[in-house]
Amino acid sequence: MATAVVPGRWAAAARELIGARELTWNLVQRDLKVRHRGTFLGMLWSLTTPLLIVGLYYFIFTFILQVTPAGDQPRPDGRAVPFAVYFFCGLTLWNLFANSVGASTTSVVGSAYLLNKVYFPRAILPLATVLSALVTFGFELAVLVVITAVTVGAPSVQLLWAPVIVAIVLLTAFGLALLLSALTVFLRDVTHFVGVFMQLWFWGTPIIYSLQFVQSRPGLVQLLKLNPMTGTVVSFRNVVLLDRPPGLKLLAYDAIVAVALVALGAWVFGRWQRVFSEVV
Amino acid sequence: MAGSEPAISCRGVWKSYRIYHQRSHTLKEKVLSRRNLYEDFWALKGIDLDVSRGTTTGIIGTNGSGKSTLLKTMARILTPNRGSLEVHGKMSPLLELGTGFHPELTGRENVYLGSSLLGQSRRQVDERYDEIVDFAGIADFMDTPVKNYSSGMYARLAFAVAISVDPEILLVDEVLSVGDEGFQVRCHQRMAELRDQGCTVVVVSHSLATVRALCSEAAWIDAGTVRQCGPSGDVVAAYLDAVHEGLLPGAPGAPAPAEGSGGHTLTGEARILDVSFVTPRGGPCAALHTGDPVTIRIRTVASRPLDDVSCGIAIHRGDDATLVFGQNTAEAGYALHLEGESVVEFAVEQLPLRAGAHTLTVALHDAAVRTVFDWHDKRYPLLVRADDARRASAGAAYIEGRWSATALPAAAGLEERPGPPPQAVPA
Repeated sequence: MATAVVPGRWAAAARELIGARELTWNLVQRDLKVRHRGTFLGMLWSLTTPLLIVGLYYFIFTFILQVTPAGDQPRPDGRAVPFAVYFFCGLTLWNLFANSVGASTTSVVGSAYLLNKVYFPRAILPLATVLSALVTFGFELAVLVVITAVTVGAPSVQLLWAPVIVAIVLLTAFGLALLLSALTVFLRDVTHFVGVFMQLWFWGTPIIYSLQFVQSRPGLVQLLKLNPMTGTVVSFRNVVLLDRPPGLKLLAYDAIVAVALVALGAWVFGRWQRVFSEVV
Repeated sequence: MAGSEPAISCRGVWKSYRIYHQRSHTLKEKVLSRRNLYEDFWALKGIDLDVSRGTTTGIIGTNGSGKSTLLKTMARILTPNRGSLEVHGKMSPLLELGTGFHPELTGRENVYLGSSLLGQSRRQVDERYDEIVDFAGIADFMDTPVKNYSSGMYARLAFAVAISVDPEILLVDEVLSVGDEGFQVRCHQRMAELRDQGCTVVVVSHSLATVRALCSEAAWIDAGTVRQCGPSGDVVAAYLDAVHEGLLPGAPGAPAPAEGSGGHTLTGEARILDVSFVTPRGGPCAALHTGDPVTIRIRTVASRPLDDVSCGIAIHRGDDATLVFGQNTAEAGYALHLEGESVVEFAVEQLPLRAGAHTLTVALHDAAVRTVFDWHDKRYPLLVRADDARRASAGAAYIEGRWSATALPAAAGLEERPGPPPQAVPA
């Protein structure tokens, strides 16, 4: 019953977040509605954009560069995976991550008008951006499953791993969202920096290419494996498209990084959130 | 739930604002300026205050005394630097109308979003939704984005959402009661309803009448400390006395020379030294009462003899700054000559102001108001009290009059006895 103003320990913070779930969901709905209201295609845009990007990259790689950088081992049943589907699969998971992190930087400063008028656990602001990216991801995933079923075959039992992989990506994104949204309050440059950095990160993740494609350069492979998105993207593709088990070692590393990022983000956010309403 | 545990308990709460002279937001500025120049301003200096469960407490104080900071601290929007603040119960803050409303969302969506920001659950909003729409009176527009609303529609919807909250602790800033008089009445009704339901209410208000009528308790905040707290009648009376004695640094009674010249460039050849009110109730400090005689006494000093000079006064209402009355000696046909120190007086036989806060502006200028010697804009508080009979009235001014009624003879008799034609009424 008693709520001390001085923020309590982690459990209390988590309880508070859960207590604000209705408000969080309302903010997610607000984000989604505002983003698509007034546009002709509405929610369809969240599907149209990645499909157009897949089309664009497919054109560039297949007709201009004439390489197919997706060289994973074939499925156990020997069926080939079309490059466009291969790319789309990695892209959906990447979009979940990139949309969460990209939108999170402004989640606190963009809500200055709320911070000054009501109290709510401030962490629901970055949380809401991550969750609205998750809703968009849900639509993309549905399309991905249909496309996969049509072009490659029905999903295998490996698909059961997908929720675990998505959960790791969500944790990573939420940790970074906490960290970056708090940093942006004090340093507005973060938004621009993150925009550029996410481009770099995209190419540093085997989304449009496979790890096998670069395996002739072991140093590069080792570097890529340090990227916490590598394991999740590779594993996601394995379980959704390729009927293979996830890369458990990489996935475990990603999970550790995810938890560490959440801890770091929560620590920074928790330290600074009390002055948000005065600084923004 | 019962028991003596307070709903809100402040223990030695200190709160400072960092006032940045130049705040750097970007990396470039941070690197180039190395450090921010700032000063700490202590808005709250060790507040000890308990708000008992089920009471209605008014927080009063002059501008800048820290009462809004205290409310925001109670609302957990601000975190105290030192001290502890405990809140027991589900709290809704009403610091502005339409908190969290988004222009792109429809009326219905905003009702749910705004209510949840005020701490209402979806179920509570479902239950009250019809009531809210009913009160706002815009049932046909609930599926229209609020950006297409007129400002009146927007305000009604925002207000309907605000008064639909049903918390255990309600924090209200007076901003809610500005504007529409109907809102004000309804807002007070709703606060009274919640009070009667056992809700703990804390109101920050400039309107002492509101505090006295609505609140059982009051806390007077002065320069970041609790000057007095207790039954609202006592605290308000003590506060009024202090305002009239000009003891409060933030109160207009103690003029601040640097500000409040109403935007005029002052030549300073004649200056206003001080302004006082002389009333039959004794001394220049006592309260003014509706219908009483009062003399406004203005002491002036001129650095050289001035012939083309006019002394003007203006009275504004304290709540909405409506000009109630303004006149200067030139307009009144009174030739004023100032040399050295003088006393200019404006004598009123029966003060026609209604109870409430007013401000007095005093100015010295030439007859055409081209040259302004001195101008004290809204610097002097004119706090008017009234007895109950005079209090029961409405409007900007109090017109002293007597009501009477006489039974007339039968209508037929009137026709036979022609009255004087209207134009024959003596001027």
